[in-house]
Order: sequence, then C-alpha cells, then structure tokens
Amino acid sequence: MSKKILIIDDDQDIRSYLGDLFGDNGYETVMAEDGAVAMEVAENEKPDLITLDLEMPGEWGPRFYRKLSQSEELKRTPVIVISGLQANKYAIPKAIATLTKPFDAEELLRIVKDTIG
Amino acid sequence: MFKKILLATTGSPASFGAARVAFDMAKRYGSEVTIFHVVGVPTKAFSHVVNDVRTGEEVEIDEEYLAWVEEELKTTFAKQFEGADNAKIVLTTGVPAREILREARKADSDLVVMAASSGENASFHKGYPGSTLQKVAKAARCPVLSVHRESASYWGGFSNILFGTDFSKQAESAFKFALSTARELDCDLTIFHALDISGKVLDQNEIEENLIIARKRIREAYVPLMGDFKNYDIEVWEGTPYVEIVKLAREKSVDLVCLAHHTNELDPERARIGSTVEQVILRANCPVVSVSKPDKV
Repeated sequence: MSKKILIIDDDQDIRSYLGDLFGDNGYETVMAEDGAVAMEVAENEKPDLITLDLEMPGEWGPRFYRKLSQSEELKRTPVIVISGLQANKYAIPKAIATLTKPFDAEELLRIVKDTIG
Repeated sequence: MFKKILLATTGSPASFGAARVAFDMAKRYGSEVTIFHVVGVPTKAFSHVVNDVRTGEEVEIDEEYLAWVEEELKTTFAKQFEGADNAKIVLTTGVPAREILREARKADSDLVVMAASSGENASFHKGYPGSTLQKVAKAARCPVLSVHRESASYWGGFSNILFGTDFSKQAESAFKFALSTARELDCDLTIFHALDISGKVLDQNEIEENLIIARKRIREAYVPLMGDFKNYDIEVWEGTPYVEIVKLAREKSVDLVCLAHHTNELDPERARIGSTVEQVILRANCPVVSVSKPDKV
C-alpha cells in the first residue's frame, strides 16, 4: 500500500505542485489549506508524513503542530516544514527537516524517501 | 485586552519581528495599532534640528522631512499594512524612551510592543537589550512586549502562555496579566519557577526539597486566584533561571512568555529590569512580555 502524505499549505499552486510531485513518485496525498482544517484531515486520514507551511490565513503551522503533538495517535507523524518565512527552522524545532521556499524538489523527495520509504 | 497597541519602532530590520507581532495581534484580536517612531533627538532643547535616528545626521524637521519618514515607514511595513484597517503612524521628536512612555500614557495603550534593540552595534546588543527597552519596560504602566530574534517573531496566535515567577511582588501583576490573557484567548497557562542553583553545589535532597516547597508555594500563591480556570500546569525546575525558562518555552511550544522584572527590590517604582528578563528576551523563541505594574492587567 502506498504511503500517505498530508500537504498543508494555503497556496493552491504549491498544494497541486506537491500533490503532483508526490503522486508521480508513488505516494498518496491528502490536502488541507490551513492548520484548523489540517487537524481534522490528519485525524481522519492518519498520514504517514506531513508537509507543513507556517504562515496561513486561519490557523498557523506551529499551532497545528502543537495540537498534533498532543494527540497520542498522531504525535509521532514526521513533519517537514516548507515555508518562506525568515528563520523558519526555529518555528518547529522537532520537524525532521525545514525547507525554504522556493525549495528543491529532489531534496524534498530524498527526505521523504529516507523517512517513510 | 489588547485594544490599543503601541508599536515603538525605529523601522530597522531589528524591529521587523516586533512589527509582525503587533500587526498580527491587531488583525487577530481587532486591536488598534499605532506605529510610533521617534524621528530623532533634538540637538538643542526646542530645536527643530534633530539627529536622524537612522543615519545620525543632523536634519531640519519640516513637513517635507516628516512626510518622507512617514512614507519610508509605510514602505517598510507595506506588507503588514495590508488588511490592517486600524493602523496609524505617529511621528515625534525627542528622547525615544521618554516619548514612547509619554505616548503610551497619552493614548492609554494596553500594550507597548518593541524590539529589544535597534540593531545597531550588534556585538554589544547581543548580550543586553538596548537602553530604550530597559527604560520603557521599567517605567511603563502597561505591559511591554518585546521580540528580539526574527525567529521569535510569533507564529500565529497565542495558545500557550508561560508565566515565570520568582514570587516577588511584581510577579503578582505579571501573573494577573498572564491569567487574564489565557482566559480571554483560551490559552494553556504554565506557571513556572526556576530554582536558582547556578554557581552552587547543593545536596540532591536539598534541591528536591526546595522543588517541593516551590511547587507548594505556587499552589498556595496562584491557584486560589484562578477560580474556574483549569487549563494550567505547574512546573518547577532547578538550574539557571533564564536557561530553564527558555528551555521550557521551547519544549512546550510556548508562544508568549510572561515575566515580572526579576528583582529583590520590593518597591515596583524602583525595581529595574533584571538579568533573567534580559536574557529571556534575547533568547526566547517567542515574544516576551514584561509586566511589573498592577495597572492595565
């Protein structure tokens, strides 16, 4: 069974780009446009990995991450931060990687592959 | 509770984090935000010639210069101004700390937001907040929120508040502020005391006894004041206080640290910002608010 990735980003273009990228490489994807929606999706879909934007109009990435880390079922889900913010690596210190937009697709795929296979 | 926010800024990159916090709070909590900028210190009393705060050059204050400064600020914060309906710019001349305090008093601000330093002379300011923050934090009647590192520039809404206490008189005001913010914004509140063992060699039993005592003290001092508020944790760790506060804030993904000025001085008028607050301001991964006075909490 293919691994499932939850893509959280308010930018439709980034969502569809990441969706295509992961889809082409054999992953299943689900999407959410901000942190509040993402929590519901994560609970229902139980993704194997999450890519997380930080700045979103509703609930920001770090707040989503806090909720995620409080959930017994989801707290071990690996998270990759993908954001254009300054010094974004400090936002979620426990993330497995932090990529700055524009990011390198090869690098992202490598990290995903190393993490969930 | 954050109806009127005073953003005191030089417009330099060092204050971008503070600006982001102020504007985001304004948008999120429907506050009015005043961008307050002191254009320069008069070269002589009542003089219209000032030393420009950015360049240090002498300039004559006329309408053209003021319009230029205002335009510069608008350009600097253009992104933040988008969607901020309740924002205005106020310019003045004078000694920054004094003018910030004057404006906060005049406008009856609920919160002053500023950077820890203007960012000039970075090697010096790495270890200590600038004198303006020191003076404002010490004298302001309202809480003063500072954002030092750009990384620490607020990650979208408060949900977890850390209140650090040294059991001083001033900490009572800081606690009231932390509690009312937590209540109003539906946040978790962690009440924390760091048992200072820096530079001491203590028996482990003694340390653990002191931790138990501090925990009990928190229960007695703060829990009765919380009424029906139940979203709180109590933590007591030993170590160097500022290190422990920063560590706990990071571990718990805290988005606001609330402290009183650590000081042995009981009179709040005479108490000055202490080394623990200074170091937390410079190091924390989230905004730090210092509260010492009972007003506005």
